[in-house]
Amino acid sequence: MSIAVIRFPGTNNDDDVMRALRQIPAAKPYLVPSRKGLAGLQDAEGIIIPGGFSYGDYMRAGAVAAMEVISAGIRDLAEDGKPVLGISNGFQILAEAGLLPGALLPNVSARFICRWVYLRVSDQPSIFTENLENAVIRLPIAHAEGNYFCSEDYLIALEGEKRIPFKYCNAQGEITEDSNPNGSIENIAGVINQKGNVLGMMSHPERATRQILGSTDGLEILENFVRAIR
Amino acid sequence: MDLIHDGKTRKVHQDPESADREIVEFTDSIALDDEKAESITGKAELVYRMTDFLLGYLEGKGVDTHFIRSLESPKILVRKVDIYPVLVVCRNIATKSFCLRSGVDEGTVLEKPLVEFFLISDRLHNPLITERAIETIGLVKDEILHFMRAVTLSVNYYLVELLKQQSLVLADFRLEFGITKAGHIVVADELSLDNMSIWDKGAPYMNFDEIKGKEEEFIQAYGKLVDLITRTKPEEVSNRNEILQVIVKPKDGIRNPPGEVTKKMLVRMGFGDAEDVRVGKVFNIILRRPITSEILHQLNIMNIKLLSNPISEKHEVSYG
Repeated sequence: MSIAVIRFPGTNNDDDVMRALRQIPAAKPYLVPSRKGLAGLQDAEGIIIPGGFSYGDYMRAGAVAAMEVISAGIRDLAEDGKPVLGISNGFQILAEAGLLPGALLPNVSARFICRWVYLRVSDQPSIFTENLENAVIRLPIAHAEGNYFCSEDYLIALEGEKRIPFKYCNAQGEITEDSNPNGSIENIAGVINQKGNVLGMMSHPERATRQILGSTDGLEILENFVRAIR
Repeated sequence: MDLIHDGKTRKVHQDPESADREIVEFTDSIALDDEKAESITGKAELVYRMTDFLLGYLEGKGVDTHFIRSLESPKILVRKVDIYPVLVVCRNIATKSFCLRSGVDEGTVLEKPLVEFFLISDRLHNPLITERAIETIGLVKDEILHFMRAVTLSVNYYLVELLKQQSLVLADFRLEFGITKAGHIVVADELSLDNMSIWDKGAPYMNFDEIKGKEEEFIQAYGKLVDLITRTKPEEVSNRNEILQVIVKPKDGIRNPPGEVTKKMLVRMGFGDAEDVRVGKVFNIILRRPITSEILHQLNIMNIKLLSNPISEKHEVSYG
């Protein structure tokens, strides 16, 4: 299960993602610097775009990385049905590249937020949330632009097509305004593409993979990702 | 060759090889006060030589013109365009009609180049018209006028700098613009003494309000001028920077946290009248060549793909 972990200039969670994936026996992660372009994706059966500050987050978070050649390659693999996961800045890149709908705007607090949050997992099946349906999970977030926004039409489509796997909630699993850390519309914490194989999420599963870190909920998501590579 | 247009100083023929091209043939006629006056043998050849050189020069500097290439004298091959119904005039020195309506003394060097628009109308004798009026009566869209103004100022820069090499001064000139079938707005005119006024040592290089009886003198002076111009060195004129400004704004109805924070602080500092603040971005893109329709088209693609996010932002472009 070869998983390309993409590193753009300014990506800084690549090491964490590599380390987390190495915990999963079936996973064979390899690091791909974005400058390798399409050649870097030749053996990829799945792709993870880790968080960080690609190209310094200048202009808009993810906007420059989304226009790199390698991003066109990621689009091709996504169209082939290969699993693609964008975490934090990776989500911003996928949204900017148009692989996922919507945009990630500055947090309503206009601040960088770094803390643990609870996510309510949708009861609808997805390749990324197997065995987690309806669960309340705990993951960290660390971002300044995680305020998910999309048009009313898209929102209806996302809800209707069961493409919202995670919503911010409180410890009891209630989706409340208070538990929304960044102002995301409908507390949306992640979205899936129409085909069901591309997921973007602002929270960091790779930072919740060991009990000593406070949660292993993230490991389950990554395990699902690896299992989805067939 | 089919004659498309029989003008005062030029005939326009259909290019038999392409429906998108025309052949402009200059004539020996001299237009004085909008009336077809007289004909002077040799004038067409000089207009041809001057236009060939100057349009080729401008194209080389990146100005989008209708000029394709010269044919045998006195003909040039051009792209077919729909001409906009306004003349664009650019002035560096106050002369005749401008002096009459501004009170400025003839020969005054203007602080900066002045662009004016005139309505193309034989019946009304091509009167001055304001940009606001052109837009209001729906003749030409504001953004197109703006484009023409910017390109005219570029043309002015390149012509002024070139003529300087021979100690000549470009007092003023006028241009027509047209739009090609592909939607490119281009300079669609000749460049000769029919639409340029060149000064030397503080006075017009040629002053022929009365040509009758001085035809030979006229042709000699004109020929000397064309010799001077065609001996200039285009490569020694450095390209001018043009600034394209892209302003990206948050769309209405979308919360703008940076603006909200800014507003809070403005109010706290005593600027209580700030009702709402919205923060956007400005990109200054510097080009080392004149602006063309193609460049604006490319920029528009870049705006959508990179500089703005159409989901949450809107953009506008300004220049000149």
